[in-house]
Amino acid sequence: MDDSTRQRLFGVTHALDHPLVVYTLVVLGALLAAAPLLFLALSAAGKMSPALRKDLWSRYFSWLVFIPMMFGPVLLGAAWTIAAVGVLGILCYREFARATGAFRFPITSFVVVLGIVMVTFATFDHWYGLFVALTPLTIGLIAATAILADQPKGYIQRVALGIVAFLLFGVCYGHLGYLANDTNFRPLLVWLVASVELNDIFAYITGKSFGRRKLVPNTSPNKTVAGALGALVLTTAFAACIGHFVFRSTVLDTPVHLVTLGALVSITGQLGDLTLSSIKRDLGIKDWAATFPGHGGLLDRFNSLLFAAPAVFHYIGYFQGVGLTQHPRIMTGG
Amino acid sequence: MDDWRYKPARDLGLPLGQRLRSIKRETGMVGRLTHRAWWAAMSAYLRCTQKLTIHGQEHLPASPPFILAANHSSHLDAVVLAIAIPPALRWCVFPIAAGDTFFETPAHSVFAAGAMNALPMWRKNCGRHAMEELRSRLLDEPCGFILFPEGTRSRSGEMAAFRPGLGMIVAGTVAPVIPVCLHGTFDAWPPQARRPRRGQRIEVRIGPALEFAGVANDREGWQRIAGEVESAVRALKAHR
Repeated sequence: MDDSTRQRLFGVTHALDHPLVVYTLVVLGALLAAAPLLFLALSAAGKMSPALRKDLWSRYFSWLVFIPMMFGPVLLGAAWTIAAVGVLGILCYREFARATGAFRFPITSFVVVLGIVMVTFATFDHWYGLFVALTPLTIGLIAATAILADQPKGYIQRVALGIVAFLLFGVCYGHLGYLANDTNFRPLLVWLVASVELNDIFAYITGKSFGRRKLVPNTSPNKTVAGALGALVLTTAFAACIGHFVFRSTVLDTPVHLVTLGALVSITGQLGDLTLSSIKRDLGIKDWAATFPGHGGLLDRFNSLLFAAPAVFHYIGYFQGVGLTQHPRIMTGG
Repeated sequence: MDDWRYKPARDLGLPLGQRLRSIKRETGMVGRLTHRAWWAAMSAYLRCTQKLTIHGQEHLPASPPFILAANHSSHLDAVVLAIAIPPALRWCVFPIAAGDTFFETPAHSVFAAGAMNALPMWRKNCGRHAMEELRSRLLDEPCGFILFPEGTRSRSGEMAAFRPGLGMIVAGTVAPVIPVCLHGTFDAWPPQARRPRRGQRIEVRIGPALEFAGVANDREGWQRIAGEVESAVRALKAHR
């Protein structure tokens, strides 16, 4: 393992080298510090009902957990980021399995978790060949091992739930982890995660302000066309502007690429959210879990990253490449 | 082609603390591995420190639903009974434990739920509604319960009368009740002792299954079931 790889994986000395990372941390710190003061001021002015106050505080405390969860591993290094994405995938699968009932099929669940662990290993090793090969191999293994239960009734459902889960939480999230193999991974991931989170906030604010026509009322009754378009415009503008500092001096640092990347983040972010909403409606549940007060489960918070990560990964990969200057197969050699 | 039928976890939507203390709790892969590890460790411990013998394992059913009903005089009882069940069947068996003892604090709940796979029975609230919940879980899942129909540990080692709660769970159902008599657990770990004594002879005697599909689900039926199961356990005790 050469010095640059070791530094990328475990080095924290360069964590704050990029100004975008520093500014993001400062802004987040300021927001977290200001929010309680705002709540107290609104409370003192009598402009917050007790129910709203309780809801806002519970959401605030959840963000106190989310923000270190999202940005802590990125600051610590690529190894921590990849491990955190692997753990996120497994925990999201747990929520999905409990909601769909897939947890009652232990062999399928084991193979899905094994697949996620292997994707995490391939990512850590920077072995793109294995990373790609794991999709058909794990799908085959899920289908083959489901035979062992010797229960043809419900076989398609068992296998399909396992495959969908692996593709969503192993492969799609795996692309988020694989971005950590890029030399420039810290600003890249901070930009992507911040854009996706802001996309949700922009959709909420513009939807509340201007939304009349429902977007897909049976799937997500609170989402409006105005919210979706507002998020598209604002997120594209934000991601393109900030993206300029992330992709400075690369082939992607052109208005066309930056706007396309911004639009891609917004559209795929909203599609990820709507996809998980569709699954929830099909299951007849409101939240994936009750882990985080005011938010629900991890999947309720991180659903927008599901499609945004692979879309951004392959866009960057096609025009510029991801991790090309980093040594591949750092553990397995070859 | 049939529609797909999803069956979310019964405890979906409950925060972790409530999940552990809920009768609806369902465990996944991690929970099963933890339970397996716990029972393997307990099995090894008991076989090393006590002289454990099990008779009548052929009376255990091949699949759930079923109830193991035994006399109760020690904290070792649920552990010994679970070990008497073949590992292939053990994952779907829940010891029913006193909520006010085993689920009183978060630490107790983590141990009772995480290691022992126990479900709580709150002694202040063990009326018909609680029994109906257990009954529907027993049949719908289906699963197995380890029950001590005396309601509490004997402080003298003598078996007390069985309460009718057992009848409320099984009356009119296909779930068999397997009477079990535990010998020696009182001497191995009596209620007054802080920790188990080593080298005691513990014997588990499993009797033939009793079925109550034809018994009415009313007060008279519950009493009858409790009486029949108690007699079966007493007969096993006398058989020694």
